[in-house]
Amino acid sequence: MNCFGLNIKRIFISILLLSISIIAYQLLLMHIFSITQWYHFAFMIISVALLGFGAAGSFIALFKNRLIANAPWLIPFSMLISGLLQCCAVFLSQLSFARFDSYLIFADYTQFINLIITYLIFFLPFFFGALSIGLSFIIYIDQIGKLYFFNLVGSGLGGISVLIMYSIFLPEEISSLISLLPIISALILLPMYYKKIFTVVFILSIAVSVFFFINPSPLKKSEYKSISKTLNLIDAKVVFTKNSPYGLIEVVSSPVLRYSQGLSLAYQKEVPQSKAIFLNGDWFGAIVKANNGKNEFLHFTASALPYVMNEKERVLILNAGSGIESAQAINYNINSITAVEQNSIIISLMKNEFAEDSDSLYHHKNLTIRNIDSRTFLQADTNKYDLITLPYTNSFGGGVGLNALQEQYLLTTDSFEEMFDHLNSEGVISVSSWIDYPFRNPLKVLSTIVEVLHKKNISEYKNHIAAVKSWGTITFVVKRSPLNSEEIMNIRSFCDSLMFDPIILPDLSESERTKYNSMQDEKFFEYIDEILSGHRSRFYEEYDFNIKPADDDQPYFSQFLKWKSLSYLKDVYGIRNAPFLEIGYLLVMITFIQIIIVAFVLIILPLFKTDLSRRDVRRTLPKAFLRNFGGFPEGSGKLKTLIYFGAIGSGYMFVEIIFIQRFILYFGNIIYASAAVVSSMLICSGVGSYLSSKIKGSKRNLIVLCGLIFAVLVLYKFLLTPVLQSTIGFEFFLKVVIAFSLIAVPSFLMGMPFPIGLKIISTGNKSLVAWAWGINGCLSVASSILVVIVAVEFGFAMVMFIAALSYLTAALTNVSLYHLVNKLE
Amino acid sequence: MHILSLILILVLSSFNIVVDSHLQEDPYVRDREKMVRTQIEMRGVADEATLSSMKKVQRHLFVPPNQRENAYDDRPLPIGYGQTISQPFIVAYMTEIIRPNKNSKMLEIGTGSGYQAAVLAEIISEVYTVEIITELSNSSEKKLKELGYKNVYVKNADGYYGWKEHAPFDAIIVTAASEYIPPPLVEQLKEGGRMIIPVGSPFQTQMLMLVEKKGGKVTTKSLMPVMFVPFKRGK
Repeated sequence: MNCFGLNIKRIFISILLLSISIIAYQLLLMHIFSITQWYHFAFMIISVALLGFGAAGSFIALFKNRLIANAPWLIPFSMLISGLLQCCAVFLSQLSFARFDSYLIFADYTQFINLIITYLIFFLPFFFGALSIGLSFIIYIDQIGKLYFFNLVGSGLGGISVLIMYSIFLPEEISSLISLLPIISALILLPMYYKKIFTVVFILSIAVSVFFFINPSPLKKSEYKSISKTLNLIDAKVVFTKNSPYGLIEVVSSPVLRYSQGLSLAYQKEVPQSKAIFLNGDWFGAIVKANNGKNEFLHFTASALPYVMNEKERVLILNAGSGIESAQAINYNINSITAVEQNSIIISLMKNEFAEDSDSLYHHKNLTIRNIDSRTFLQADTNKYDLITLPYTNSFGGGVGLNALQEQYLLTTDSFEEMFDHLNSEGVISVSSWIDYPFRNPLKVLSTIVEVLHKKNISEYKNHIAAVKSWGTITFVVKRSPLNSEEIMNIRSFCDSLMFDPIILPDLSESERTKYNSMQDEKFFEYIDEILSGHRSRFYEEYDFNIKPADDDQPYFSQFLKWKSLSYLKDVYGIRNAPFLEIGYLLVMITFIQIIIVAFVLIILPLFKTDLSRRDVRRTLPKAFLRNFGGFPEGSGKLKTLIYFGAIGSGYMFVEIIFIQRFILYFGNIIYASAAVVSSMLICSGVGSYLSSKIKGSKRNLIVLCGLIFAVLVLYKFLLTPVLQSTIGFEFFLKVVIAFSLIAVPSFLMGMPFPIGLKIISTGNKSLVAWAWGINGCLSVASSILVVIVAVEFGFAMVMFIAALSYLTAALTNVSLYHLVNKLE
Repeated sequence: MHILSLILILVLSSFNIVVDSHLQEDPYVRDREKMVRTQIEMRGVADEATLSSMKKVQRHLFVPPNQRENAYDDRPLPIGYGQTISQPFIVAYMTEIIRPNKNSKMLEIGTGSGYQAAVLAEIISEVYTVEIITELSNSSEKKLKELGYKNVYVKNADGYYGWKEHAPFDAIIVTAASEYIPPPLVEQLKEGGRMIIPVGSPFQTQMLMLVEKKGGKVTTKSLMPVMFVPFKRGK
């Protein structure tokens, strides 16, 4: 018990439950926005959460005394409101006054009002949730280590629990379930003397949650999403729906739905109907028939090129998806086909529910399915193949920058090198791409291939590469040994019969490149030749888009935007259209700038309030600024507080992102690796926080602790990747042990600086506690976006370096410069 | 002299009345002329018939009422069902490229708002247009009828198959992009005919493709990227 008459154990449990709900809710909203809009709105949710946490921190700092005086009812009340809003927000956001469509934002500016309303709707549950956590931290500062433990463990459990819920419930049902947790948290904390009033409110709240669970508001997807467009077709209907950690999977059928990418004009028969799979409302793949003969059209696409070059026996299909490439291999009578696909739900669909629609494609005797990430498979596999195929590069969504910020480890030079090492002496890698405009995807594919050949000490690139262009697609094949005359002849004959044009081939004449399919902008061919020439590095520099090959350190194949090309895009396409070429990275930058502004306001606002009276702010603002930012000795410690809590907040986030990236490759499953990393980190940090109460809250200890974390992170910068690469082939259980050990050490240590730091500042200036908590929250969330920008621009090695540097900075803030200067003098 | 001046004033006044009433009937005349001048002519579309048709067809009548003010903007506009009315320049460009003349018989795949069909109908003798979305097919047919276009024939069907009963066509305009060029459309193209079609992956900028049939040989030329042009997968 304490002065507020609340049992501390109840507080712990309440904070645990609330933390579970807040993280689960944040992840759920990211999931929902991926379905109704596009995945970029995940960043919007992050910024909304930031706004909620930051605003709550400011609110507490501004009205600390009044809030603390009313804490016994205010904490449970905030929890209750947070729960109720969590329950209703999705429903409210879909009503016409709030509903926005990101596609229309560029055509109808009134959509911005709806966007702001949506922002506000989702901001409130985070604000009230954060308010109750922040107040608890201040009031029970003596128990901060344990409180932070429950906060972190709850956040970790929130991540895991929502993934479990994805497998059981539809997204629209989950928010009601999550909302029960804050309501229960409030119930646990309810003071006896308020019980009568609140009993009715609680019963009503639970009734609302139950009502929305039974009658969930169906998610209204943007009418510009692929699935919405497909459902406009005659008699189109969703025939299968399943929510999963991978996303919402839906299958649509329509008698007029057909699929064939880049079909030859020589094909005169009917393109067969097929069902289509959508992931979060975006196109995932078509379900095509496996049986030989029924899919003759698969012989009429440029991607058939490797099959007509020479005989193939063993074929490896990476990112096999719904099986188009597998069906093509079967149609070419390949005896041994290995198809690798990490999405287990898709495999299950193809093997069970839609086996008949695909002529039991995934049960075919010649086909072996491996449920693992393609890169992880390549790193552990020891077999050699005659052909390794990848899906169309633009099918990842890179063409408009939609996936610009998605790590694509399959399309890096490291990945192509691994594929190259898996080829038999006569083996080939085949990769196809749509010819986009301005030219990006095919150029980057070629630059990746050339870079790999260069690494393999092959200088005569043209002798190893063939590329064939249809009216809209291009297929590259790269052969381990030089192409022989028979293969070259087969390629020419393939092109002639299907009205395709060879664009890279030994002894190719210029006129052959446009025999059937010409281009208004023939610079494409010049660019191809530049990449094949000895001065490609200069071309990478000069070209308006980033077509330099991606590698594992910067695995952003679809990130084509160069900031200098923005004006080019504006001039050529008009400012209104420019964002549609490279929208992903632009949206992230816009979100980041927005967050910086919000974070600045939220941190600076309480800074002045706590020092000066309102009417003095304007007059003394420059002076106050100088006093607080000009030096340590005379200041009230705010600068150090800002740097210290900002550094540990952003450092933690940087490490988290690095771990997620490295362990995705290690385990081969993005969803489970992310969940496992985040949860392990939070739980280990929680344990660290819990035990921090046994450590004396002194600056010396903080210096040692932060210095230790710095040392560990520097060590990890050099050792993490080699350790993971050398153990990737180990048994799963052993890999789990290794991964957990690697995550646990730094996470445990990183759980301590926050509670110890809070304890120290609370002994001096208590008003700084809420502020410090707000800074930590703001910087953590802002860093989650900053880390993406750093990774895109400089690579993951730099991310790890900055993470280490952050903790070093935190250590240095505790070394008093004043004393240091005196000693030096 | 005094009488002559009076007559002149009366004539000029009546001219003003005519101009004013014309502007009252169609308040977008100037917008349309500006659109043709700045968005279409200045970008290189020179075909007289196309320019004349673009000046004549009242684009604002083919967009939803809440988008009317934006009808002559240099951009596509949403018309519902996930579809858009193409940017004016794209409509003009596609019209010019298929070389329409008054004796042509053309097929349009993807009626949408009906605007492209109306632009064609001002130039050529017969326009056959197919729309897969029933609601759009009905509304565009009604609109075209209301505006007095008697040489436009609308069908609610899957555009993949074209309109075999009226084939072959001198030209085919496909306004809904796809991942492939439907074989029946190539078949329904007259010898020497031209087809323009936006193609490409739905996740990227579509390319306008010119398909020509000459001496039994089919050739293509990729022309320019188009944005905002909606696509209907599987069509």
